[in-house]
This record gives sequence, structure tokens and C-alpha cells, in this order.
Amino acid sequence: MLVYEIMPGEKRIIAGVYHLSKVLGRHFALQDINFQLANGEFVFLVGPSGAGKSTLLRMMYMDDIPDSGQVIMGAHVSTMMKRRNIPRLRRRIGIVFQDFRLIEDRNVFENVALAMKVAGIGITEIKHEMTNILTRVGLYHKRYEFPGALSGGEQQRVAIARAVANKPAVLLADEPTGNLDPMVTRGILELLFKINSGGTAVLMATHDVELVKSFGQRIIYLQDGKIVKDKEMLFRGNLRESISNSRVDHRAKKFTEHSIGEDYDGKRGR
Amino acid sequence: MAGINEAKYMLGESVRMLKSGKVSNLISVIIMGFSLLVLVIYILVTLNVSIIIEKGMEEMCVYVYLEDGVNNSITEDIREKLLEIESVRRVVFVSKDKALEKFREQLGKNSDILEELGANPLPDAFRIQMKPESNASVAMEKIAQAATGWKGVDDVRYGKKWVEKGEKLVKGFYMTGLALGLIVFLSVIFVISNTVRLSILSRRESVEIMKLVGATNMYIQVPFIIEGAIQGIVSSLLAMALLWGVCSFAGRYLPGLGFFRFEGVIGFIILCAFLGSIGSFVAIRKFLKR
Repeated sequence: MLVYEIMPGEKRIIAGVYHLSKVLGRHFALQDINFQLANGEFVFLVGPSGAGKSTLLRMMYMDDIPDSGQVIMGAHVSTMMKRRNIPRLRRRIGIVFQDFRLIEDRNVFENVALAMKVAGIGITEIKHEMTNILTRVGLYHKRYEFPGALSGGEQQRVAIARAVANKPAVLLADEPTGNLDPMVTRGILELLFKINSGGTAVLMATHDVELVKSFGQRIIYLQDGKIVKDKEMLFRGNLRESISNSRVDHRAKKFTEHSIGEDYDGKRGR
Repeated sequence: MAGINEAKYMLGESVRMLKSGKVSNLISVIIMGFSLLVLVIYILVTLNVSIIIEKGMEEMCVYVYLEDGVNNSITEDIREKLLEIESVRRVVFVSKDKALEKFREQLGKNSDILEELGANPLPDAFRIQMKPESNASVAMEKIAQAATGWKGVDDVRYGKKWVEKGEKLVKGFYMTGLALGLIVFLSVIFVISNTVRLSILSRRESVEIMKLVGATNMYIQVPFIIEGAIQGIVSSLLAMALLWGVCSFAGRYLPGLGFFRFEGVIGFIILCAFLGSIGSFVAIRKFLKR
């Protein structure tokens, strides 16, 4: 097993998609997809509806398996993944959707706490962490509200809070602003940037090309199941600055190394 | 194994599930309770009828009539020989005086006609009861054949046709009972599994969300299993309470109608708890495997 410190500012691949193809129905939903995600990176995955963005993300959180090629998320390899290890991967990444996917009969606190509870974290720690998390997304004062009483933007903030509750190394966002108006969209994007600056790599899928162009981040263009353009921004100066604290790299290191082997020998652990 | 925290949370999820699904749980329990009521009514009726049948079979007797004026030693001889026969359970001597008395009792008001007779025309007799497990018609036939030739025996009688008919009736009853029981049982299983499926369907979204945030299958399943067990217990209690009501009502018209024994009731409740949890487990497992 390779264990070494990631130096501040050092780049490390924490998620990768290699020659991935997926057939849905009669044609390729995805065809020979290749890209990697480095720690602390922010990447937009852009393409029109039906380009295969959601399918690609589903492969990445292993809700579906590729027909050929593989996905590597940290130490989890899709071709060797056992069903019972999928929950462990999900606790180490965050997922956000267009339709928020909050549990309607649980309040904000309970929805966010769920992610920590399923990971087996003690209630004292959850309560302690929750103050931080909910303050970060600006919803601490609404922690006892139910999703039905919140606006779309607020609901998405709750979903994001839930996604980052376990301090994931990667956050996958599938059209997180698809249901929101431009003003609210801006706020959600800012929140995602803030989370990214805290060390979490973000992969955000969207159909809105104009929206993402202005930020100067790396953009992967997807069309008809193929990557048509991948604007690599990996070693941009300001990005390096934003992730140059050691906590960031520690998180990526944990994601890529701490679980090596457990998919194959069935050991349990968090 | 899951940690203490996880166990606590799973229990919390179960309590939450029971609280949030109050109405749907109530409906499920009522549906299951009534389905189970059909089942327990069926079982109780079968039990009662089989008790009646057994009693009836016990009362089927062979009468060995003695010749008039047979002395005591021959009588004793006959008694001993009868007791040696394997399928015989009990041999009772009915003296001619006793028989007359009984006859008089049966006649009631009309017993005056007996006075016309003068002397007692009835013979001394042995009433022979059969062991319940013995094949009555064959055994009775055997006794009749054997005893007819004995010294001091005048005649041997039993309701041959009645016994044979009775046996056919019992066989038929048990066969139809078995078929009916199977149908009732299968429909109860069907109703309950559908109820469980509906309950899972109504919680499909939260189950999906739990999977997305990394809940293990166990974390998702345990609350369903606990809910299933509790539904099983409550619905079996409901079925038993309803049955008790039905029984005490029917008891007015059918005296001697028996209810289940206490152990039977407890056993039934435990069985239902078990069935409920298994049913939920199978249904949620199927759902998670998709």
C-alpha cells in the first residue's frame, strides 16, 4: 500500500473515469469517457439535456455500472466494487440533485443529520458539527423548519449541507441550479465555491453554458455521450492558492488511501 | 456488526416510522386483523367440530346383550374376554333394571305404558366403548363377530351403517377443511404481503434518499422489520379480540363452543409477529435489490 503525505498544493487524482461506455436502450448514452478530477478542483460538466451528464454522475456514485471501462472514486474501483461497499463510498462523497431530494417529514436539522447518522457518528458530535454546517449554508435559524416551508434555494442549501456533512473529498452536483431562478442560482454557485475552497473537489453538471463560462473554471463539454472539449485548468495559479492548506490535502489523502483494500477483502470500517 | 450509535439510530428510525405512519399503520393493522380473523375463525371452527366429532366417535358403542338368566360367572367371563380385545376402551355392565329405568326416563310422561308390561322385558347388557384412535367400523365388526359365538351372549348390536357414514363424514370434513384452510392461509399471506408492499411504496422516496447518503441495507431494513413485527402483534391481538367477541356472541346459540387456550393465543401472537417481520424483510429486500 502506498502511503505518503500530500504536500500542500500538490495535485492528486481523487476521481477518475477511464474509457467508460454505457449503452441505454439501443444507443450509447456514454462513449469512451475519460477524465480525472484532482483534489480541491472545481469542474463544470456542461452539455444539453440528454447528453449523458446524469448518467455519468450516476456511474460516479455507483448507482449504475458502466458497460465497459471503469470509474475510480478514491480507493473504490467500479469494476471490483461489491454491492455492500457502495454505502461506504456514498458516505465519503456528497451528492446534490436538481430536485433536492429532501425527506419531507423531517426538518432541516434531521435531513442533514441523516447523512451523519448513517455513518454512525455520535449524536453529541452531530449536534456540535451541525451548528457549523448549518451556519455555513446560512440556514441555522431555520433548522427546525420542514422542507415544505422553505424556498427552492433554501431547500438546495439544505441538500448541499447534507452532502458536505461528512466532509467529503468530492461533491457531485447534478444540475443543482436547474430549478432555481438566476438570483438564487448565483447564491448556490457561491456556496459551492465556498465549499470548494474548503478543500472539497466539486463536479457540477449543468446545461447552462453561459452561466459557467464567466467563472474561468475547468469545463468538460459533453455532447451525445462524448466529451467534445475538456478545458483543463488544473494548474491555474489561483486554484493552487485556494487549496494550499494542509487540511485540504489530508482529506484527499484519506479518501484515496485509507480505504485501499477494503473493497476486496471485505473489511469494514469508516 | 453495527455500532451502538447505529443501533440507536435504527431504533429511532423505527419509532419515527411508527409515529409518522400512524394512519397507514392503522389501516394496515385493520386489514391484517380482519384477514387474520378469517383465519382464526376457520381454525376455531375446525377445532370445535373435530372435538364434537371425537366426542361423537367416543359415544359410538357396541352393545352385547346377554341371554336371560345368565349367572354371574359367565357374565364375568364375558367381561374379561371383552376387555382383552385391543380396541376396547371401557366395558360397562348395564343391568336389565338399570336399562328399564333409563328407558323410563327417556319415555318421560309416557312411561306409564311400561306398567302394562308387567315383567321387565329388557336383557342385561355390556356397553363397550372404543378407543378413539382405533378404526371404529372395523374394530366394532370384529367385536361383533367374536362375541356373537360366546356362551351366554344373545345378540351383539351396533349402528353399523351409522358408524360407516360417520367415518366418511369425518374424512370428508378433514379433507375439505384442509383445502379450505390452505386457501384461507394463502389469501391471508397475499393480503399481508400486499399491505407491506404498499407501506414500502409510500416510503420509497425516503428509502432512495437514505441509499444516496450512504445508509447500509441493514440501516434501512431494521425499521421495516420492527414495524412488521409490531403490526403482526397488534393485528393478531385485534383478530383475537374480534374472535372473542364473535365467540361470546355465538356461544349464546352454540353452548359448549370452545375458545383457544391461553398458550394457543400467545403462540398465535408470536407467530404473527414472526410472520410480520419476515414479510416486511422479504418485501424491503426485494425493493432494495432492484
